[in-house]
Amino acid sequence: MGWVVRLPFFVILMGLGAIAMIVPAAHAAVMEDFMTMRVFFYGFILFSVLTLMIGLATAGYAPRSVARSQLVGLLAAFSVLPVMFAIPFFEAVGNTTFLNAWFEMVSSFTTTGATVYDTAGRLTPSQHLWRGLVGWMGGLLVWVTAVSIFAPMNLGGFEVRAAGSAGKGSSGSFSQIAQIADPSERLVRYTLTLTPIYVGLTGVLWIGLVIAGEFPYVALMHAMSTLSTSGISAIGGLYFAASRFWGELLIFFFFVFALSRLTFSRGLIGERDHGLRRDPEFLTALFLIGTVTSLLFLRHFIGAAEQEDPANVPEIAAAFWGAIFTVTSFLTTTGFESHYWDGATEWSGLNTPGLFLIGMALIGGGVATTAGGVKLLRIYALYRHGEREQERLLHPSSIGGGGKDARRIRKQGAYISWVFFMLFALSIAAVMLMLSLTGVQFETAMVLAVSALSTTGPLASVAAETPIAYSGIPDAAKVILAFAMVLGRLEALAIIALFNPEIWQR
Amino acid sequence: MKVIICGAGQVGWQIARHLSGENNDVTVVDNNPELVRRATDTLDVQGIAGNASYPDVLDRAGASDADMVIAATHSDEVNMVTCQVAHSVFSVQRKIARLRAQNYLDPGYSDLYRRNHLPIDVVISPEKEVAEAALQRLAAPAAFDTESFLEGRAQLLGITIDEDCPVINTPLRQLTDLFSTLRAVVVGIRREGALFVPSAGDQLFPDDECYVFTDTEDMTRTLEIFGKTQSKQERIVIIGGGNVGLGVAKALEARTDRVRVKMIEYNRDSAERAADALDRTIVLHGDGLDSALLEEANIATADAVLAVTDDDKTNLLAAVRAKEMGCPMAISLVNDPTLIPLMGPLDIDAYINPRATTVSSILRHIRHGRVRGVYSIGDAEAEVIEAQVLSTSPIAGQKVKDIDFPEGTLIGAVMQQGKIVRPTGETRIEEGNVIAIFAMSDDVPEVERLLQVSIDFF
Repeated sequence: MGWVVRLPFFVILMGLGAIAMIVPAAHAAVMEDFMTMRVFFYGFILFSVLTLMIGLATAGYAPRSVARSQLVGLLAAFSVLPVMFAIPFFEAVGNTTFLNAWFEMVSSFTTTGATVYDTAGRLTPSQHLWRGLVGWMGGLLVWVTAVSIFAPMNLGGFEVRAAGSAGKGSSGSFSQIAQIADPSERLVRYTLTLTPIYVGLTGVLWIGLVIAGEFPYVALMHAMSTLSTSGISAIGGLYFAASRFWGELLIFFFFVFALSRLTFSRGLIGERDHGLRRDPEFLTALFLIGTVTSLLFLRHFIGAAEQEDPANVPEIAAAFWGAIFTVTSFLTTTGFESHYWDGATEWSGLNTPGLFLIGMALIGGGVATTAGGVKLLRIYALYRHGEREQERLLHPSSIGGGGKDARRIRKQGAYISWVFFMLFALSIAAVMLMLSLTGVQFETAMVLAVSALSTTGPLASVAAETPIAYSGIPDAAKVILAFAMVLGRLEALAIIALFNPEIWQR
Repeated sequence: MKVIICGAGQVGWQIARHLSGENNDVTVVDNNPELVRRATDTLDVQGIAGNASYPDVLDRAGASDADMVIAATHSDEVNMVTCQVAHSVFSVQRKIARLRAQNYLDPGYSDLYRRNHLPIDVVISPEKEVAEAALQRLAAPAAFDTESFLEGRAQLLGITIDEDCPVINTPLRQLTDLFSTLRAVVVGIRREGALFVPSAGDQLFPDDECYVFTDTEDMTRTLEIFGKTQSKQERIVIIGGGNVGLGVAKALEARTDRVRVKMIEYNRDSAERAADALDRTIVLHGDGLDSALLEEANIATADAVLAVTDDDKTNLLAAVRAKEMGCPMAISLVNDPTLIPLMGPLDIDAYINPRATTVSSILRHIRHGRVRGVYSIGDAEAEVIEAQVLSTSPIAGQKVKDIDFPEGTLIGAVMQQGKIVRPTGETRIEEGNVIAIFAMSDDVPEVERLLQVSIDFF
């Protein structure tokens, strides 16, 4: 096994991607969709051989900085690997352009889940499975790389709590540490730890959904896209799921894995934590979900009450559930729309409650989870900073309590969070501008930009007043959006860190 | 008695001074030779320079025939090891250690200090005791000195007599008749700097400082009779966020009535430490003498200011400044007993002398008999001794008037079967009673003799 570890990170990912093509091939064989089966099987053979050759060619490759090479590899994985995923997909679908296929794969792999194939029956089940699988693998990649690559470099949200500066790794040297774990070693170790958890959780959710009355195939798709927060569905969304409320309830509980990393990778990177119940991210998430849900729910009594329709209990419950599920789903950047969301929309009496969802998607889930967006920890840091500043208005020379960590979050943490937040805002502005240049309307451009950068694809069909179809936007806009998704997935800071001279120089 | 004192810091020095003044054979051990030299120069003690926990150093200090080891170095761990070495190697009978970290003082782990574990007979924690003293001062803002005795059921109050005090120019005997239900006794008067034990014919004059022993239930009434009114304290400013200030703030936060505390600390690290440990208290970082900062702490509307930094002069000045800015009450921590006469001219209402509190807590373990509490008054001028009367004691079974007490002593209170009794000449002291005696320093050995187990006990 040792030689696998020494291969460049990208080659390993490529190999895994090639092997994954067996899954849709096998599924297609069972479904008697032989065209798809053949294409994916040939894809498997072709890319396995290709990977093998590249692997042989790069076997002796020793990068100057393993950490940097992994970061570059990750960037390549999100931008180049979808090309490989797209080739069999393009061939299997047949009547599509390669650009669309590539866009679809970027969107899947970055766990965005925006789809240009939104008409029912456009894709065969096996092709849908491939989308879901790519998204699911993307989610796993994010889980693993967050702890193994981003955490040691203080990136991807870890910089908020870290003592060192972003993009550099920890400062200070301890003489008793004779040998530092090689980044590839770390990658392998965390992969071996986290993969069983990821697979197991997906399996549990799958079985649970099947028990709740879902078709096994649809249940698998939804389980995979819940865990990876991609929101990819074979049936056009959770709205059409057969399991209805019980399925939604089950999925709702699995959203927690996108709210706080403590739910699955507790203790992996040696941070001090006080358990989930006192985790700032989890508490922030609860607060946000609670506030937005109750706003949507209570709005009825202020604005919509004059409509004078006798509300019955099931209707109220449905409205409440629709609100809380959809809000949570968008906060985790999954983008599942509850079956009861329509009821919640009507109940609230607002014309565009989808704007709330844009906000939620922007905030995003927890650090080092599959969720995108600004991330809860940064929001928490900014909130704490604001609170502290208010305190300082009253007592300019007061000292904030809460411990060393809390102080660091309020100062350096809030500073770097603010930097990130501004980068995010600037990215939105830039993407919107570029989309507008390609001829997309303003509101559409805004929703698309947010949905791409926060990796919440389904936002497009829910947030705006009229649903936006990805298939209807120009090709140039698709390319821009695809890159925006990669940017949103990797976070601007990680890409900027690549230009850090300390990483490039010896 | 042969005593080894490890550590010649603030606490060690004061204990050494006090014990050497009582004709004990004191040896001071410190790893700073300069400090040891100073100690041998100024105090009547022997000195050894070296690390207190090393067996050979203790041996040189004469641990093999010592009666007691007091470990009061800066490090809790060194103190612990010193006691262990003194016990295991030299079989020293009594071991007292100063432990600062609250983690060691958790009552849940008090088993640790048992004889077969980590043999420490007495754990003293000066900061904690000073903090308690500060709280007592706050509880009785009208008194300049307070200490509780007899399981908290009796209080010793130090009261300054004002011009408008209703009880001036009246013989004490008459006062006793006038307030026959009041369980209070005037046990000591300081007039023009001299402390003495009053007799029944003595009168109180303005500017006297008198020490009154009172039942805790009668405390408010006593203060009223002496012309003082109790007010509630809701806003308190603490200057100095060291161990003492932090201890007081924590205790205030733990109280059920909402007390709003603000703390000022000069050292950034200490301020952060305090802010972390405290919940509702607002910690301000800056100079406690800075009027802008005091204004930020809203000193004008504060009910009391507590100056507890480690620097006496800062404390005094901060207290004066706070009073000048409108704070009605100021309490100051004063290490140097020679500064205490300045309290009056500076208009500082009360002071805490950490020396007195610490020394008191150690003294109660040195005194013979069943001594339960000792409180040192003023600059070691007098002591209040709380003790249980043993059957073999010469005073057991006698009436107060028949006991041959020396001139400078007075019984402040007697607790009989859990009830506080105001002692009169006819009160009979029974075996098992707990008595609190005010005694001038010169008469302490005689009081000790009266309380001691006589030889036929064995």
